[in-house]
Amino acid sequence: MKRQLALIDFALGGLRRRLGKSLALTLGLAFVVALFGAALLLTDALRAEYARGTGGMPDLTVQRLVAGRPALIDVAVADELAALPAVRRVEPRVWGYYFFVALEANVTVVGATEARTLADGRLPAADGEVAVGASIADLLGLRVGDEIGIPVEGEVRFSDVVGVFGEDAAIRTADLIVATPPHARRLLGMPEGSATDLAIDLTTQDEAGVLTERIGALVPGARVLDARLLERTYELTFDTRGGLLALLLLPALAAFLLLAWERLTGLGPGERREIGVLKAVGWGTADVLAARMWESAIVATFGATLGAVLAYAYVFWLDAPGLLDALLGWSALRPPMLLVPAFDPVQGFALVAAVVIPFVAISVVPAWRAAMIDPDQALRGGE
Amino acid sequence: MSAIALEDVRKRYRDGATRVEAVAGVTLEVPEGALWVLRGPSGSGKTTLLGVMGGMVTPTSGAVRVLGEELTHLRDHHRTEVRRRKVGFVFQDLSLIDGMSVRENVLLPLVPLGGATREQVARAEALLARVGLGDRIDARASRLSGGQRQRAAIVRALVPSPPVLLLDEPTAHLDTDNAREIVDLLASLRDEGTTVVAATHDPRLHDDPRIDRAVLMRDGSLVE
Repeated sequence: MKRQLALIDFALGGLRRRLGKSLALTLGLAFVVALFGAALLLTDALRAEYARGTGGMPDLTVQRLVAGRPALIDVAVADELAALPAVRRVEPRVWGYYFFVALEANVTVVGATEARTLADGRLPAADGEVAVGASIADLLGLRVGDEIGIPVEGEVRFSDVVGVFGEDAAIRTADLIVATPPHARRLLGMPEGSATDLAIDLTTQDEAGVLTERIGALVPGARVLDARLLERTYELTFDTRGGLLALLLLPALAAFLLLAWERLTGLGPGERREIGVLKAVGWGTADVLAARMWESAIVATFGATLGAVLAYAYVFWLDAPGLLDALLGWSALRPPMLLVPAFDPVQGFALVAAVVIPFVAISVVPAWRAAMIDPDQALRGGE
Repeated sequence: MSAIALEDVRKRYRDGATRVEAVAGVTLEVPEGALWVLRGPSGSGKTTLLGVMGGMVTPTSGAVRVLGEELTHLRDHHRTEVRRRKVGFVFQDLSLIDGMSVRENVLLPLVPLGGATREQVARAEALLARVGLGDRIDARASRLSGGQRQRAAIVRALVPSPPVLLLDEPTAHLDTDNAREIVDLLASLRDEGTTVVAATHDPRLHDDPRIDRAVLMRDGSLVE
């Protein structure tokens, strides 16, 4: 322990003596860690955000396909399905896409009778009332109490805005217009007694597989979506995007490691001589290596910590400008989001392993090569 | 027992396509508590032979014993141990680390042992005072004059209290006064029981009457 403390003290002195190089390496490492850390933190935050949002997702969603395309479903089917064992509740849902010319984008019109986890404001209680997503409100300058005109079959139907969704649920609500089911049907041009799909809650999720088969037999052309599979799909989407992003950042990591390799393997005559001096005054090869490893570990620790702080600040304080688009996509109505800090320790360890460990390793190699030769040779600058 | 014993020691270097024999079959014994000088022209092999004596240069063949301990077949860390306990070495180019203070430089050998104890620091400061560097302890090594660097390097070699002190050209580039001070210091160390061997081509050192023996080297061999 005493020996290690003395070597750490020596290593700190070495970093001071080579301040320029030490700073350059620390900042370089911080930059690379910040890039990777931002991608990881953002992926984790979005996954966590989605996980929070899917808390109220129905266990099963039943759609009807005609000629391979989604078609309307008769609400009477809901009663048949409600009679099945393990089904707790069936809710016919009304929703659809509407191309909003003013926005040059599709919005999602939803008929909802209760909040589930969607709303942050008041949901519409009567026909002619709507609640809108944060992006729509922002782009059209809407506030509660305003009117929104939506052209339907050649006629503009006006609705009162009674609620605006909060940004905390933006990933799910940014492009929504929520109305009562009858009003939503009118906005979407759907006939009475029809629904877009049926949301089913089960007494136990374990029955999902069996019920999927029974519903398939009861409802011709039914497509049953399992919430667990949807969650997994979203997870994979974010994993894939996060992974692609990390892949895109690999050249930055490779470039830094190459630069560090070049800087570190090119032991200058001064450093080589220093190693020769150390060996000549009684230091063993292991002592030289330990000192060099401490130097690198100190640089790596400071660099990685600085990088992690920068990544955190970039993602959670600045809302990841630029990078968020890469993970959320480029839809016309991008959800404005307040990212809630979330961090996966396993990924943190992976980051450390991917950046810090190679950094320490490559710094030790040249010192090892120099320390292995006779001190006399090292002092003469020999190889 | 002899402090240093060499038996038919050879050291060959490869210089491009040609082989250079820097030490060509040297056999000698330096008694304990002696002050010896290896003299000879540049390139005669003095420095290499000194390195072999100190365990810093591995001989191509032959046997090297320091205070009875055979160095030749020791593994690196054992050789380091012997060097650490028994040999102090002062280099021709002094080899102080410029970015460190005089104190840090002279305590450098003690770092792998867990750092200097209070007693060792006191001993280092006393030695520095003895060689006239008492007021330069906290100065950077780069700020020292040639003579001061030489004396600081000798103190660094002496801090671990080695029984054998090896010096390569200890009076090179020094004026007469500084050179005399160095010779005085070496003679007094010898008088205190330290075995001192210096490689030099400086007559101020090898012709000094206090030298016990001056050995002449030429082309890697002992001539007299």
